[in-house]
Amino acid sequence: MERSFSCPTCGKCCYGQLPLAIDDTLAHADRFPLVVMWTPVRQGGRSFDITAELGITIKLRKRKLAAVQISPCAYLPPTLPCPELTADGLCGIHATKPLRCRTMPFSAYRDEADQADLLIPRSEWMCDTSPDAPVVYRDKSILDRQNYDAERAQLVRDAAILKPYGEWLLDSVPSLRMEIQKVAMKPSGGQVIVSFSTLIPRLAKVDIYAFARNQLPIMTAYAKKTANDPTLTDFHKRYADMAGEWGKIGGN
Amino acid sequence: MTECPCGSGSAFEQCCGPFLEGAPAPTPEALMRSRFTAFVRGDLDHIENTHASDVKDGFNRSAAESTANSVEWVSLEILNTAEGGTNDDAGTVEFAARFRQNGELMVHHERSNFRREEGRWAYVDGKMNPKGEPRRVEKVGRNEPCPCGSGKKYKKCCAA
Repeated sequence: MERSFSCPTCGKCCYGQLPLAIDDTLAHADRFPLVVMWTPVRQGGRSFDITAELGITIKLRKRKLAAVQISPCAYLPPTLPCPELTADGLCGIHATKPLRCRTMPFSAYRDEADQADLLIPRSEWMCDTSPDAPVVYRDKSILDRQNYDAERAQLVRDAAILKPYGEWLLDSVPSLRMEIQKVAMKPSGGQVIVSFSTLIPRLAKVDIYAFARNQLPIMTAYAKKTANDPTLTDFHKRYADMAGEWGKIGGN
Repeated sequence: MTECPCGSGSAFEQCCGPFLEGAPAPTPEALMRSRFTAFVRGDLDHIENTHASDVKDGFNRSAAESTANSVEWVSLEILNTAEGGTNDDAGTVEFAARFRQNGELMVHHERSNFRREEGRWAYVDGKMNPKGEPRRVEKVGRNEPCPCGSGKKYKKCCAA
């Protein structure tokens, strides 16, 4: 089976949360409000195996398991665009944009054979998937696979850091384990947001003070941007908390 | 006399002091105590220098320093030690380090692994909040001697 796709640069997919490879978080620490996102996938759920391979597993009740994707992430509400999306719908940092953006519409968080539904445009997206568009996916294979392969290779390298980090944080903070178990049991699923500062000790070369100085103004700006929107109260509170945390670290 | 921050009751100069100066610690416990003392005193050099060779590269000094500066250390309690003798090349120390952060009393409970490298003990890694050995319940047969030590059969003694 063949699937066609062409991007008309409508910019609609440049909204909301954006998972990032570790190197991309470091390269863009002065740009995105960063968190670590923990997303459980229950056994039998879609992409359980690949999620367990790139992340960790956690025990649930009744001898069930959940795989947990641990992703450094640009933390944005679905209604807010990427800070680099320009007025004409193009990317302001095209030459240095994150791997996640380059691989679109495919995703290296999924197996290659499991990409078909990613080619269905979400509502309001203007992707051209008509037969006139070039074929991009044939018999469950990605035809131009350079970006997909690069992103997958990066995710595998990151897993060597994120897996031990995940086990360590779960042991250190028992309430986090309970929170993830709770989210995993919910039929609608969900995510648990953890401060990026918990990951820094695992990134040997990162200067936490410089990182804090980068993140503080961004968190402060997003706290302000979300202050008066009642639908974004959770986001606002989170930005404000993280601004406080980075401020404290940077002030040392 | 300045009492050693590790809580041994000895003077700093007679306790962790020499190890912070670079003297080799005789046991994993002594090294662990000196690393706690180093955290209290903000001596990140000692922390870095006492890491095993394969974990040195993964150590984020700025993050460790930032944490050390953000907490007020309260006490150290050694809960358990295993191996780490003169003939051992590995050893573990389980400890509880109490500290105050943002006004809240917290505890860092870890079982640390140490390894001897070129004659000196070095910190390898640790398990946070380790679980104790699972409790085992042994079943006593009715005809076996009673565990109370009376010499009678269990069924004629405590089981009755």
